[in-house]
Amino acid sequence: MLKYILKKLLIMAITLWIIITLTFVLMVSVPGSPFNSEGNSNEIVQANLEKHYNLDKPIPVQYLLYLKSIVTLEFGPSISQPNQTVNDMIGRGFPISAELGIVTVIVALISGVTLGVLAALRHNGVIDYLSMGIAVLGISVPNFILATLLIQQLAVNLEWFPVATWKSPMHMVLPVLALATGPMAIIARLTRSTMLEVLTQDYIKMARAKGLSPWKIIVKHALRNALMPVITVMGTLLAGIMTGSFVIEQIFAIPGMGKYFVESINHRDYPVIMGTTVFYSAFLIIMLFLVDIAYGLLDPRIKVMKKEGE
Amino acid sequence: MKRLLFLLMAVLTVFVLAACTAGEDAGKDPENNNNVEQPDNNNAGNDDSTDSSDGKVLYLNNGTEPKSFDPSIGFDAVSWDPLNNLMEGLTRLDKDHRAGPGVAENWDISEDGLTYTFHLREDAKWSNGDSVVAGDFEYAWKYMLDPATASPAAFLAYFIEGAEAYNSGDGSVDDVKVTAKDEKTLEVVLAQPTGFFLDVLTNPAFFPINQKVAEADPNWHTEAETFVGNGPFKLDSWKHEEEMVFVKNEHYWDAATVKLDKVHFAMINDSNTQYQMFESGDLDTASIPPELSDQLIDGDNVFIGPYGGLEFYRFNTTMEPFQNKKIRQAFAYAVNREDIAKYVVKNGVEPAFGFINPGYTSPDGKDFRDANGDLVTMDVDKAKQLLEEGMAEEGYDELPPITLSYNTSDTNKAVAEALQSMFKENLGVEVELVNQEWNVFSEAQKALELQFSRSSFINDYSDPVNFLESFITDSYMNRTGFSNAEYDELIAKGKSETDEQKRWEYLYEAERLLAEEMIAMPIRYYNTVVLEADGVEGILRHPVGYFDLKYADKK
Repeated sequence: MLKYILKKLLIMAITLWIIITLTFVLMVSVPGSPFNSEGNSNEIVQANLEKHYNLDKPIPVQYLLYLKSIVTLEFGPSISQPNQTVNDMIGRGFPISAELGIVTVIVALISGVTLGVLAALRHNGVIDYLSMGIAVLGISVPNFILATLLIQQLAVNLEWFPVATWKSPMHMVLPVLALATGPMAIIARLTRSTMLEVLTQDYIKMARAKGLSPWKIIVKHALRNALMPVITVMGTLLAGIMTGSFVIEQIFAIPGMGKYFVESINHRDYPVIMGTTVFYSAFLIIMLFLVDIAYGLLDPRIKVMKKEGE
Repeated sequence: MKRLLFLLMAVLTVFVLAACTAGEDAGKDPENNNNVEQPDNNNAGNDDSTDSSDGKVLYLNNGTEPKSFDPSIGFDAVSWDPLNNLMEGLTRLDKDHRAGPGVAENWDISEDGLTYTFHLREDAKWSNGDSVVAGDFEYAWKYMLDPATASPAAFLAYFIEGAEAYNSGDGSVDDVKVTAKDEKTLEVVLAQPTGFFLDVLTNPAFFPINQKVAEADPNWHTEAETFVGNGPFKLDSWKHEEEMVFVKNEHYWDAATVKLDKVHFAMINDSNTQYQMFESGDLDTASIPPELSDQLIDGDNVFIGPYGGLEFYRFNTTMEPFQNKKIRQAFAYAVNREDIAKYVVKNGVEPAFGFINPGYTSPDGKDFRDANGDLVTMDVDKAKQLLEEGMAEEGYDELPPITLSYNTSDTNKAVAEALQSMFKENLGVEVELVNQEWNVFSEAQKALELQFSRSSFINDYSDPVNFLESFITDSYMNRTGFSNAEYDELIAKGKSETDEQKRWEYLYEAERLLAEEMIAMPIRYYNTVVLEADGVEGILRHPVGYFDLKYADKK
């Protein structure tokens, strides 16, 4: 077990290093500089700026400086926002994105699983078509369109919720709805198809034959197995949603970290690009690792750790 | 069916539980609930927020987090618009958009136009109560010019003797001719006479820095708690990436003029969202989302004012066929600027028949634009003839292929497509369109790799030379390969001539020469378009410079 985890950790570190190096290579090969603002400038000013941010140094030296900043977890000041360090940005933005993300995942998970189970139980019935209809809509309507619609109808016309900003639980409702619909649809479809498969298995028939109540069969025997694929997608989903959605955060003026991923690249803000990439990759890798472990705990058929030990 | 109902109930219960726990989480931050929500709720749905205990509160949107409130570092509108209300320079733009007294009560200018002696107000104070002294200006400007500071705005100070040398690393700080003669007297010696220097000084780059505060804490400008300004308002709170609250600064020398008690800046970067917040009463001013322009632009609550800047296209004179003057002119004469302004860009912008936007008044009281007239209009016959002559001069049977480049944006694309069809219709020339991401585009343009490319210019100070200077030989802003000794000479005189009337004559001539050579083709001038809620008045929006809330009121 310990050996397995250690080996995993080593692989994770190597993966991260490869990602860092690839990001750096891509970053320096894209034309442009962080100082290409639309405002006026001149050569002396540009040279001073490059020197200030160590961009006048040779590329290998810059690479080593980056590696150093990553190892020490001090990403330094942002170039486009020199007031703030990258650590400040992540430290402030991530909790907000994570809060939005966790609520979204909970909503998506509960509503998605419910829809999926209902659809499977009433296979080819009205409820099945209804829930799968909702799921198809959820997958096909992009969240920024949904967000705009929600603001227009529920905030501006009906005045039930505030339009934007991030201040109270009421402010959370619309962005969570907009963000949760897509993942909900994915989860609903996954649950439905695995549930259908599981329900035809012999052990379910066995349980029925034993006279267990349908409620017990569904929750205790069917759902537990049907949720395995959902757990598989949860790792990626959590990492993706918790680190912020650029579009939703922009529309609802939520000060999360979603925008840094996109804007840092537009601005060629090298420290922020590195900081956000490392943070996101590390988060994703850890999530996938946790999913691996969760498999072993939930599914007796998968015995990754024991096999390693033998 | 009963079971299904039960299941549904169970799920709903879990849902409600989840929502409640989430609610507790979200409400955990006490700052969120106490300070901010209250005024917001008061404001929502009724315009009569003046009744609330906070007094007159103006709700504005800053778009994004300011880059920096360090006057030397900010250098963009999202930083300098708010900063212009937190601090004040020696001079401040008045209601007629001219440089008037600010921290300096008055000043003397030597006969040769080189030495400026500023007399600071006795009652000019910092928001912490300290007196604003001449040394604070000397400190701030030398800090800006220090190469280690890496100020993107430093070049604006090169008018001062010794400034350029120090900033480039060749000179010493002691040779920068800014001297605090005593507590309230500042002497500045210029490199050469500069008729518009007082206007340059209204720029936030020239704001003072409280030396005592900055030396004790170099990061004084990053948080509301440590920020010390000397303007009409002071920074009360600043939640990064979220909002800022300004309150009236009782230490400001002209505090009696300031009518607002509070200004609240949101940071909403989405043009539709900020418009919807304006509609729902959460904001007092907003910009017009491009899709709604036709619908809203003629409304009563729309402020439309000039903005010092030009959209234009650069010809690359080092690439065929634009080494030929007549071919360049032919392209410029083939463009219908009125149509582009009216039907393509919209939003009330004005077509540009010259390079310098209207709004600069000459010493004899005329507008620069009126005095120099229209320099390039649409003339299809002339365009065709010029193209023919140009092709003959170069010996072309067929025009080399032409690529028009622009940085990716919806408006730029629409303008480029309009140009494409005008060149085809009026000149019979097929032009290929290419768009690139801003940073890639900008690098290529600087390296003279683009043949025919879009550009924009926004003035840093209120003088025609600001734009015209871009095209002197080897200027960083040139980007056309253009080099003309006569033009360089005119600009040099247009900067340093002490007789203002003569100086303007040189500038008229320079603009005419630029139009004759046609190394860049003007399209349209910029403007400022703002929706203002009922009762909002007195916000000063200068054609060149940053907005001023000193006289603003909310009825």
